[in-house]
Amino acid sequence: MGPTHGTGTLRTLARILARLRDAGAVPAVALVAVRLMERLVTPVTAVALAALVGTLSGAGDTGTVTAALLPLGFLALVMLAGHLGDAAAEPLEYLVSSRIDGAHRDRVARMVREPSELGTLEAPQTQALIRQVRADPEHGVETTPGDGTTAAVRVAAGLAGVAVTCAVLASFAWWLVPIVLVPALVTVVLRYRLAVAGAATWVSAIGGEQHVDVWRRANVSAAEGKDIRVFGLRDWMVDRMQSRLGESNAPLWRHVEHRLRVEWLMFVLVLVGLVPAYLLVTLGSLEGAATVATQTAVLAAGATLFQLLGNGWDLYQLAGAGRDLRATDRLASEIESAGSAPAQRVAAPGAAVGEVRFEGVGFRYPGSERMVLEGVDLTVRPGELLAVVGLNGAGKSTLIKLLCGLYRPTHGRITVDGTDLAAVDPGQWRALLSVIFQDFDRYPLSVRENVVLGRGPDGRGSGAEGLGRTGPDEVGDADLEHVARTSGLADIVAGLPAGWDTPLSRGRTGGVDLSGGQWQQVALARALYGVRAGARFLVADEPTAHLDVRTEFRLFERLADQRAERDGRDGAGIVLISHRLSTVRRADRIVLLDGGRITEEGTHPELMALRGTYADLFETQAARFRNDNRATEADRGDTA
Amino acid sequence: MTRSIQSPLWRRLPSLWWEVLTLSWRCTPGLTVLALVVLALSVVAVPGVALTLRATVDATAAGTAGVALAAAVGVAVAHALTSTFQTVTGEVLTTVADRTGRMGVHPRVHRAIASVPGIAHLERGDVLDRVDIVRRGTGQIGRSVWNVLLSASHVLKLLVTVVLLGAVHPLLLSLIPLAAVPLWTHRRGQALVRRAEVEGAENHRLQQDLFETVAGVTGGGETRVSGADARLDGLRQKAWLETERVRFRARARAAAWTFAGWLVFVAAFAGGIALVIVQASQGTGTVGDLVLTVMLAVSLGQTVRGTVTATAETAGARRVVEPYLWLRDHVAGELAREGTAEEPPRSLAEGLALDRVSFTYPGTDRPALDGLSARLPAGAVVAVVGEFGSGKTTLVKLLLGLYRPDSGAVRVEGRDLAGVSTERWRARCSAAFQDFGRFELSFGETVGIGDLDRMHEPGAVAQAVREADAEQIVDGLPDGAGTQLGRRLGGIELSEGQWQRAALARASMRRDPLLFVLDEPTASLDAPSEESIFRRYMERARTHARGTGTVTVVVSHRFSTVAGADLVLVMERGRIVESGTHAELMAIGGRYAGLYGIQERAYTADP
Repeated sequence: MGPTHGTGTLRTLARILARLRDAGAVPAVALVAVRLMERLVTPVTAVALAALVGTLSGAGDTGTVTAALLPLGFLALVMLAGHLGDAAAEPLEYLVSSRIDGAHRDRVARMVREPSELGTLEAPQTQALIRQVRADPEHGVETTPGDGTTAAVRVAAGLAGVAVTCAVLASFAWWLVPIVLVPALVTVVLRYRLAVAGAATWVSAIGGEQHVDVWRRANVSAAEGKDIRVFGLRDWMVDRMQSRLGESNAPLWRHVEHRLRVEWLMFVLVLVGLVPAYLLVTLGSLEGAATVATQTAVLAAGATLFQLLGNGWDLYQLAGAGRDLRATDRLASEIESAGSAPAQRVAAPGAAVGEVRFEGVGFRYPGSERMVLEGVDLTVRPGELLAVVGLNGAGKSTLIKLLCGLYRPTHGRITVDGTDLAAVDPGQWRALLSVIFQDFDRYPLSVRENVVLGRGPDGRGSGAEGLGRTGPDEVGDADLEHVARTSGLADIVAGLPAGWDTPLSRGRTGGVDLSGGQWQQVALARALYGVRAGARFLVADEPTAHLDVRTEFRLFERLADQRAERDGRDGAGIVLISHRLSTVRRADRIVLLDGGRITEEGTHPELMALRGTYADLFETQAARFRNDNRATEADRGDTA
Repeated sequence: MTRSIQSPLWRRLPSLWWEVLTLSWRCTPGLTVLALVVLALSVVAVPGVALTLRATVDATAAGTAGVALAAAVGVAVAHALTSTFQTVTGEVLTTVADRTGRMGVHPRVHRAIASVPGIAHLERGDVLDRVDIVRRGTGQIGRSVWNVLLSASHVLKLLVTVVLLGAVHPLLLSLIPLAAVPLWTHRRGQALVRRAEVEGAENHRLQQDLFETVAGVTGGGETRVSGADARLDGLRQKAWLETERVRFRARARAAAWTFAGWLVFVAAFAGGIALVIVQASQGTGTVGDLVLTVMLAVSLGQTVRGTVTATAETAGARRVVEPYLWLRDHVAGELAREGTAEEPPRSLAEGLALDRVSFTYPGTDRPALDGLSARLPAGAVVAVVGEFGSGKTTLVKLLLGLYRPDSGAVRVEGRDLAGVSTERWRARCSAAFQDFGRFELSFGETVGIGDLDRMHEPGAVAQAVREADAEQIVDGLPDGAGTQLGRRLGGIELSEGQWQRAALARASMRRDPLLFVLDEPTASLDAPSEESIFRRYMERARTHARGTGTVTVVVSHRFSTVAGADLVLVMERGRIVESGTHAELMAIGGRYAGLYGIQERAYTADP
């Protein structure tokens, strides 16, 4: 909040209130009405009380009771209205806030889905912004846009209450209004400043909390839990968490202490406003210049000015919402500036796509000096099984991400049938791909969803006519069963309590956790589903690392089958990344990636004849078996 | 999980509250005192406005100027005090609870979770759920005692209000049972809301997880390519709306209950005021009494709400407190089972042995280990092979004391491991697991925690890194070993293979382990790395063997890597079906030879 924030603050306030649109007309109007009712009750109660006092002190003995009936009824109604307002405000505020947050999260999700590349999205500053605007509070003092808007409604309705109170004060004398209002306004400004300063301290606390989260999660994870026990990390871990926690929360706690200390100032300000006003009214009443009714009204209503103008928490949430708005704007511009998509996108070639070529492709990750790939020339053809081998960190996974268009080459280009991939519509291009990433997604959804998410709703991809017609909820069971059989997932599904509808997360009702190997089969089924839906290239990054020998062999065969022509369509091109050279050797073509370059290329026999690095790698793995050539023919298992 | 008869929850609560209060005092003594003082004073302040207002009105009516003016000032002071107390109570309780939760309860909870010697509580869903509730509920535990005190102060406020009303007219005391009506309906409504919170929690978590994926915190690449991101986002949205529906419905019902309660109360109260009016008109009461009655009624609403919120939170804390007490009992029980905690031997001469060991995972019926016996001689490299689910990993977890056998015993130099201090036994073990931990620290730390004593010893980490063949990784990091890992923390994301090497390096930190476990240590590594790592670790095993008689256990389904072991154990369905050296097993021509043959042919036969 800079010093020149007058109109800026007002504009922010207007934007915060404008979000009521997201809540829908009925809840928004109802909330405003209910809040108005509830906020008006405090000063109006004073008025009703005064009316009652007036009837009593004005009239004589007779008829007082009957005369008092009307104001009494009024008072009862006002009190009821207050309770109705209080009770109804809770659900309405929840609904309005939830709808606003929901719409906000939808917008953020759409925003971050927009860029087709990952570079900007993965940047730490983008991730920090997403974390800030995701409207999903973890920390007790985090606020959401919905919180901000409902707070704004409270403040606005409070202003209406302030108007009524001022009218009550003015009924004695107009100059009573500034006497009470000015100190009340000063407290509001002070509280607002404190709220803004407080918000800044929690942002700094979050940084440390994130480091503590690493251990919080580790301590309840079976994987990290083993290391914590074997290496005796308990005390060290707890000390580390606590020192981080103390360090990062200290500014926040210091701020709260400061706020508590300045509370005496608020106390004094209330006295400054009320003491002279109350004395003057009482004097006036003693001198007969005002009735006891007016006096009662002023005494009962005066203090409400200090409550109605907004408390620290409302203003805190308002300040938080303002910050979130600005962060959302920043995220939008960050993402927009990165999306330097060419003005014209060429349609991707249809199902009859020919070759994909890497032409002198070089790449380094944003913010990194190191070239991961350098001068890579490579052709990927449909109907062919291409294996990419290389040492860890040779750039194999990066190669795949470039092929998917998740990053753009820093040098050279990738072409599809001669067209630069950068100029091709990414959605259409990707409809031709089906990929198993090494760190594939594990959705806490049903097995069915986990497989079906291998392909988006179609109509965008030209290559996806097969399953294209199936909408999200009418997945062909035949297709599911088919890919399940092929990937070996069928056996797993058969063993699940609710079959295809079993959620794959223990945190869900009736859900189960799968093992690493089982997940790999889910991922495989997902990718095959994509192929069945019309993908022309199947890309698999270490798809069998966690599988045992027999399963790996079966799966390789079935993967390899995908290149065959089927249903009158050309077979898919397969790109396989694997360390298991016993598998790789059966590929149609093998390329060796070494130090970011392709150094060898050919079939297994060709590469073996070359006696180069590939041959060395293969020999390394095969040597152990060569040592012992008495391999029996017994037990061929089911590795046909 | 439960042993020994425990006293019911309500009898254990006071001591827990006292404990938290003590923690609070230790974490922040000044604020703790302030909180107590403010809670006490706010009770006294509550009728202040009503009483002073009555005095002013009556004195004004009577024309006693001095009293009237003094009372008017009193009204101003009472207002100022009420609003200050309100703000300060909220602020001070929140911050005291927050600090107690973070600095007092948080370390206790995490220490307790990590103190359970085994890991069954992290692997069994139902138990993990409870552990997870506790670890997320440290703030709520920190708040528990304050909610109790706040409830007490609100109840006192209610009493004070009612007694004052009774002083105006004894009949107004009949409002006491009537005040219970809104109290009851409000509570009932809040119970609905709490139930809906639990009911909506699953969908809420789901939409959180899916948002993380969509937003690229934990993914985002895959759905972008498959084009399923819109569908995934749609599922996220659906889960959000479902949560909203359940929770709004409950809140709307709660509001209806609450309002119904107030309807009854206000009707009765209007009758009460009529009584006061009659009294005033007959001259037995004053106009001031009327003012007092109305002002008290107004403040009553707030007090009832406060009471309900505070007592509901106190009751709601049960959700966290119960599992917390369970966890503490569990830890105490587990530690008590340690019994006589003997020192592990300094070195091995005989080795380790499994003596008819059976183990069944809780909640399953098929034993993972079924009466398994084996000798792991000192100084030997023992390979454990077998297909998925044969019990390989379970076996090494038992050796490391991460599970306790259901029957039979793990023996170290002939002594039952159950009698040896688990902590000290583990201090003499080292391990790299298949599902290794990914600690997002600096790279050097993620390796160094393999031996905390030597973590800062110059060269120790570098040597472990060298042994795991991970120097290249360090060289490629922007700040070398000091590089922060984890994108979330503004650091670098490691690949699967790089993490695996980091885990291997971590396992290499300890110098003289008695047991060294490598569980599928090279699943994500390339052939030369696998080869060189195996060669290196075999050498290392031999060196250790000479010194301390270290037993090295290698779990693998890659047979090529285990052929050099001194002893190969072939596992199937929780039993050892074959054991011997590679040559012996090949000669038998059984399971091992068969599986070996499959892999061998992959390299030798024509593709």
